[in-house]
Amino acid sequence: MLIITRRPGERIVLGDDIVVTVMEISGQTARIGIAAPKELPVYREEIWEAVKAENQAAASVDPSALPPVPPVTPGE
Amino acid sequence: MSTTIDSTRFGRIEVAPDSAIAFPHGLTGLDSRRFTLVARAEDDAFVWLHSLEDPALALPLADPRRFFAGFVFEPAEGELERLGIDRAGLAASDTAIYVTVRASERLEDFTANLRAPIAIVGGAGYQLLNQAPAAELRAPLFAELAAAAEQAA
Repeated sequence: MLIITRRPGERIVLGDDIVVTVMEISGQTARIGIAAPKELPVYREEIWEAVKAENQAAASVDPSALPPVPPVTPGE
Repeated sequence: MSTTIDSTRFGRIEVAPDSAIAFPHGLTGLDSRRFTLVARAEDDAFVWLHSLEDPALALPLADPRRFFAGFVFEPAEGELERLGIDRAGLAASDTAIYVTVRASERLEDFTANLRAPIAIVGGAGYQLLNQAPAAELRAPLFAELAAAAEQAA
């Protein structure tokens, strides 16, 4: 992994059209600005991993595990 | 011309050409971009998003409004713009919003992912992050059963 030291206000350029800016550092928190083409998805890693895990869990469901109709519905 | 899937779960399924759903950005963690919806019965609470490319890939979906009375879907403006979906398209009558279902041995442990619903807009599918604060990643699907189980424990 490439490791670069940056100060607030400094930037890193990835390729031709992605710019990552260190906006602010406060204690343990860094605020990062990302300018990237809008077709490029940008996710916080933990959210991306969580959604991936839920998708994969759903994809492993066996049809026989599901009840034919829900035993309870909202408002009952 | 219809195509067929030899589903590992459901056997042979005929898929009409207009019922194919393209997921231009796929689904995180799953390797397919073409799906269709398969329902086992008309009034079934679950439908299956079945891959047209992988006969073993299918995931159960639920209509969040059927299970979660207070369900709110607030996609981020930037994400809608990135995907080329407008608000009107999202609100269109033929747009469907689903959530993925995680099954378990006990019904009270079933959950749905309200954090990343799947929107089917004009024949294309997208999984969108839900910004609504109450949108849980693993919301108990049978909340009353879960509450009862907790009380009994």
